Amino acid sequence: MIVRMSKVEVAGPRELLEKVLSLLRDTGILEIEPTSIGFIKKMDRAYIDSYLPDKNSLSEKLFLEDFKERIDELLSYLPRIVIRGGYFQPQAIIDTINETLQKHLLICRGLYRKKEELQKELTELSRYNIFLDAVEPLLAGLKESSNLDFIGLTLKDPDAEDLLRRALTHLAGERYELMTSNAPDGTRAGLITVHKNMSDRIKRALSDKNIPEMKFPSTFGGLTFVEKIGFLKKRTTEISDELDMINMQLDSFSMKWGTIYQRVKEWIDERLSLFRATASVFVTRMCFFIYGWTASDDVMKLREQLNDNFKGKVVLDELDIEEEDLDRMPVILKNPAYFKPFELFTRILPLPRYTSYDPTPFIAIFFPVFFGMILGDAGYGLFIIMVSFIIFRKFRAKRNVADACRILMAASLYCIFFGILYGEFFGEFGHTLFGLEPVFIERRTAVIPMLYFAVSVGVVHVLIGSFLGFITAVHRKTGKEAVLKLMHILLIIAILSLVASLFGLFPALMTKPVILAILIITPVLLFTGGLLAPLEVIKSIGNIISYARIMAIGLTSVLLAYVANHLAGMTGDIIIGTVVAGLLHLLNIIIGIFSPTIHSLRLHYVEFFNKFIEAGGRKFEPFKKEKRI
Amino acid sequence: MNLEKVLTAFAAALAMGLPALATAWAQSKIGAAGAGTLAEKPELSATIIVLVAIPETMVILGFVVASMILFGV
Repeated sequence: MIVRMSKVEVAGPRELLEKVLSLLRDTGILEIEPTSIGFIKKMDRAYIDSYLPDKNSLSEKLFLEDFKERIDELLSYLPRIVIRGGYFQPQAIIDTINETLQKHLLICRGLYRKKEELQKELTELSRYNIFLDAVEPLLAGLKESSNLDFIGLTLKDPDAEDLLRRALTHLAGERYELMTSNAPDGTRAGLITVHKNMSDRIKRALSDKNIPEMKFPSTFGGLTFVEKIGFLKKRTTEISDELDMINMQLDSFSMKWGTIYQRVKEWIDERLSLFRATASVFVTRMCFFIYGWTASDDVMKLREQLNDNFKGKVVLDELDIEEEDLDRMPVILKNPAYFKPFELFTRILPLPRYTSYDPTPFIAIFFPVFFGMILGDAGYGLFIIMVSFIIFRKFRAKRNVADACRILMAASLYCIFFGILYGEFFGEFGHTLFGLEPVFIERRTAVIPMLYFAVSVGVVHVLIGSFLGFITAVHRKTGKEAVLKLMHILLIIAILSLVASLFGLFPALMTKPVILAILIITPVLLFTGGLLAPLEVIKSIGNIISYARIMAIGLTSVLLAYVANHLAGMTGDIIIGTVVAGLLHLLNIIIGIFSPTIHSLRLHYVEFFNKFIEAGGRKFEPFKKEKRI
Repeated sequence: MNLEKVLTAFAAALAMGLPALATAWAQSKIGAAGAGTLAEKPELSATIIVLVAIPETMVILGFVVASMILFGV
């Protein structure tokens, strides 16, 4: 439901402004209006100005902004570890912290940059690690000699090995050795051993054939191939140790100073939020005025708090809400415990305007009924209740899952209720098992009566929506629109009565008076809504027929249950039959959860809500402390 | 008499089948666009499910007409 809001003015002496703003922020129940439109009367505008900060406030604001920037930089260098919250007041020691911050920033910046350099080097070395790890076993049988040279390469295509071997034989005859092994990244690492005389020639040839030789960084210069492997391993260990050391230093710094800087940052944020709020304050020579919105239920609470804290020097007045205020009033939605889970469905809709309706109670009332009407099987309802209760118990902490389970439990109760009305318990199994008979209608055979029933539900639902639209128009005092909506409702009723009398559902005598009513209503409709108004009526008739889906989707569910039971019977074996029926019923239940949900929602979003809910509301955003992370 | 039955069944099949094809075509377009939207804004998943269900009105209306033909309303 949309919470009733009040338009308020907080006024007091200028010297108390900062303390009042601080109190308002702590209570967190007032949204400050930055503009004076609709709050300051025309005759008072000459005496009231926007608040302009003095020189001291301005320099404090600039100092705090710069301070915050530096703390943000320092915190960005620190690891994200959970640190306990600090509750001291940094105001008295802010100068000392400012000096320490400069020193700490230099230390942490240095550590962080060193860490980045080492990580970069480690990433580069890891490229060689893959290759060298693959060729290391190949070197085991080789003896290093000053006459031999080793050429490392990576072959991306395994077929290239034969081509390479042929090319090497062509260049060096039998005076070479090529060894290959699979690298962990899926490539093939190769190692060519040749006499030093041949080495340059082979390297050139490889380059011509676009087979890149494994080049090592300049820091590896002067080392033999085997030494390179040793150096690489040593350097990797060194870097890892250095990184551990830096991480340890940063962790320890964070544990020691993180809490203090985090608290200072929070304090600066609080101070800056006060400075920002002053931009929405209005002043005379002696007084300040803060305008805004709060929930009507909170007005007394706020007034008492101001009285208690400022001994009557600061007053809160409730102002009259003008018609032009309605469009910019913020919206708070608040629902009782039964309706609350259904906010899961309305959260995806845009916020309604203050003068409109919260869709949650409507969806909470009608959704479970439609779900029950569509699925309508007592056995399925019991099964869904049990499953959703188990899931609810297991995932109670996850809000969306818990809400979905609560909705399913409510919807399943209606499913059981309609199941008894339709005489369905796992299809006609209830009839076979304990002689369950339909109380209201047998859906499988009575297709047309069920169609009439579904469309009748549509008539009631669409007319309720249209009537609420009419009430909204009356509240908004838009007379012409209200008449249009009323004519719209009357014309729908007249057309439906005409159709019903033509189909023999209403007495034939009604036909003439109804035609006469249509002839009277239509010109009024055209006059109030223009030439396109009758199209809206046709759209509404289409909306009503759309409710036939309640019957259609329900019928598929009944028939699938019927098929499941008959297939099970046809097997002639109790075990196979139970398995077949169980699987088909399970499939039907899964479809039966999704399909009725989607179609019931669609009936609300498309057919029902567009008759009366006006989107475009503004969310209530009170002036309050930021939440601690 | 038999030809009348055949024609009635054929008319009901057409009333059901053609909107079913139209619904399938519309849902394929909405589904493809919805999948693209979901890649960028996963929070719109519920809205997209509803949007995909909207063209089903056509097949529901087709079903109603087919029922009326078959049951002689």
